[in-house]
Amino acid sequence: MSLFAKLQEVIATTLKVPPAKIGQTTRNEDLAAWDSLGQVNLIMALEQGFDIYIEVEEFGALISVPAILEFLKTKGVS
Amino acid sequence: MTNTDLDKLLSTENLASLRQQTGRAVGGINAAQAQRLTAHAKSLTVEARPLNIGIVRTYTSDLLDPWFGLAGALQGLDVRTYHAPYGLALQEAHANSGLVRHAPAITLLMLRREDLHPDLARPIVGLPAEARALLRAQALARLKEVVCLFRAQKVGHLVLTLLPSLAEPALGLYDSQSDASEDAWWSELKSDIGQWLRQGVPSSLFLDLDADLQRIGRSGYFDRRFWYSARFPFSPEAARELTRRVVAIGTVLTSPRAKVLVLDADNTLWGGILGEDGVDAIALGPDYPGNAFVDFQRRILDFMQRGFILALCSKNNFADVDDVLREHPHQILRGEHFAARRVNWLPKTDNLLSLAAELNLGLDSFIFVDDSDHECAAVRLRLPQVEVVQTPARAVDIPTCLDQVARLEILSLTAEDSAKTELYSQERLRRDLSDDIGRGGGGVGEYLASLKMKMRVHLNAETHVSRLSQLTQKTNQFNLTTRRYDEHQIREFVRHPEWIVADFSLADVFGDSGIVGVALVEVLSPRQARLDNLLMSCRVIGRDAEAAFLNVLLRQLAERGIEDVVAEYLPTAKNDPVKSFLTDQQFDPTADGRFRRNLLVCPPRPEAAFPIAIDIAAEVAV
Repeated sequence: MSLFAKLQEVIATTLKVPPAKIGQTTRNEDLAAWDSLGQVNLIMALEQGFDIYIEVEEFGALISVPAILEFLKTKGVS
Repeated sequence: MTNTDLDKLLSTENLASLRQQTGRAVGGINAAQAQRLTAHAKSLTVEARPLNIGIVRTYTSDLLDPWFGLAGALQGLDVRTYHAPYGLALQEAHANSGLVRHAPAITLLMLRREDLHPDLARPIVGLPAEARALLRAQALARLKEVVCLFRAQKVGHLVLTLLPSLAEPALGLYDSQSDASEDAWWSELKSDIGQWLRQGVPSSLFLDLDADLQRIGRSGYFDRRFWYSARFPFSPEAARELTRRVVAIGTVLTSPRAKVLVLDADNTLWGGILGEDGVDAIALGPDYPGNAFVDFQRRILDFMQRGFILALCSKNNFADVDDVLREHPHQILRGEHFAARRVNWLPKTDNLLSLAAELNLGLDSFIFVDDSDHECAAVRLRLPQVEVVQTPARAVDIPTCLDQVARLEILSLTAEDSAKTELYSQERLRRDLSDDIGRGGGGVGEYLASLKMKMRVHLNAETHVSRLSQLTQKTNQFNLTTRRYDEHQIREFVRHPEWIVADFSLADVFGDSGIVGVALVEVLSPRQARLDNLLMSCRVIGRDAEAAFLNVLLRQLAERGIEDVVAEYLPTAKNDPVKSFLTDQQFDPTADGRFRRNLLVCPPRPEAAFPIAIDIAAEVAV
């Protein structure tokens, strides 16, 4: 499974939206469920789903699919 | 939790095992995992019952929803939460608020410590002793205001929590030795809160989150990243623990009341097989693994204190088990702890049925604890109303295996609860006496006279509200209308000038039953009254108490000038024992399906007509 496909699944499950609504360029403002609470849920799910620890300083940047993909790569997730 | 652990849970085939295994799973379950487990739990549930929870909070609570969903699904409940607007939303304490419209079974007040008093945001150890005492009084007073506002509305069971402190006590490791100890200050306040709720606020509970903190540890309880960035304090583990305990309250409120803990013996009360290993070789004593079984037996005594009665159900020779109960030096549970025993080679399902008959209790009040896959499966299949708890395979897991059984939690405790097994043992002695008299050729009358019964009737006793509510909730068999009332409603009836709430306790040569019967009467007009309900614990059935009690009540009504009493019998699957009660007591069926007794035509009998001495105590409503 590609990194994008896995991320798509994590976001879809966490925010309870159909995977098709999440594309390569989706940003938080594109999805009503990706609000500030959704963001916290998503951070928790990313940590679990990709087995990483995210520092509080990094929370603010993780608000779009490309930003998260980029971030995951820097964490060595492939 | 790792995804391997998760997959294992997702392959569980029944809800009870999923609940137990999830309870034992180590580490946190994140929101996404919680959602997958919730879906699996729901797929194992035929029909989930709704549990509405309202939340008033001064920090982020919305993120708890996935864990609420999971905790509910594991109990067969569909949890629907309503989160009040952020802040101490006192506007929600109104008849038409979002909270009230949500019709919550539970309203959870999630407050921070400093919400009770602004000074609590700063260190308190530096204050003089009098100032600390004053601060505690002010904090309690503030809390009382808030609680009373919500209690005045229909918001279900009111559950109050205070978020534990993120910081260690001000004085660090010296705290417990200081006369300004912060922990001691909070303990005292929590105790004051608990006492006040118990005595003054019906249907309420202080849920101490410090207990969760203790279990998980401060560093594992909070996730400071989410606290400081999003005002959400809980780690996944803490979120799971909090929601599990809140949902346990919902389970107790919405499920049939558990009353009996039916225990297997081999590999449950002790390790090994008594019939094969012999009394000297079973694992029970100071060394591993016997020490785990000693601890489990010790824990079972705690459940007795909560008011559950114990029964033993074991496939063994009766004499072998009896020998352990009498003689084993490390056996804690002795013969007197069990209200009834079935030690034989019959199928356990048969034994459960006969235990239910002997104890006069429904099977849905039974919790069956057994280590055997086969026995557990057989009971689940043939007696689905019995809750089954399988004893874990590892001895080290056994002492805590009942701690997460939601229906073993209690929301109130009366003197009757703590003495329950003793009361059932007295009942056994009464049966023996009755048998003796029967064998000697004596009749029921002689038996009843030999009991030398004394009935104490209380009218409108506000101090009995908790027990009376409990009786309306728990009694299924001798119950005319099965109308359930919470403490709040009972208190309103007690205070209402047009209602009479009567209760009775019954003492005899073997002991005192405590309060075992209630009747609620609404005075409709100066001449007419309606018996809203009359119910009685099945423990005292067969002693003429029900007739004597009704007669006392009718005499009271006649003295007030009431001429006409209407009553109802609403049949349920369980209240057959009370089917002919009204006609036996000279009530006549009427065209509308109700029953009526005219006290002028058919006046109450003199007290001497019953084999019971009667004493009436009236308490003035305050």
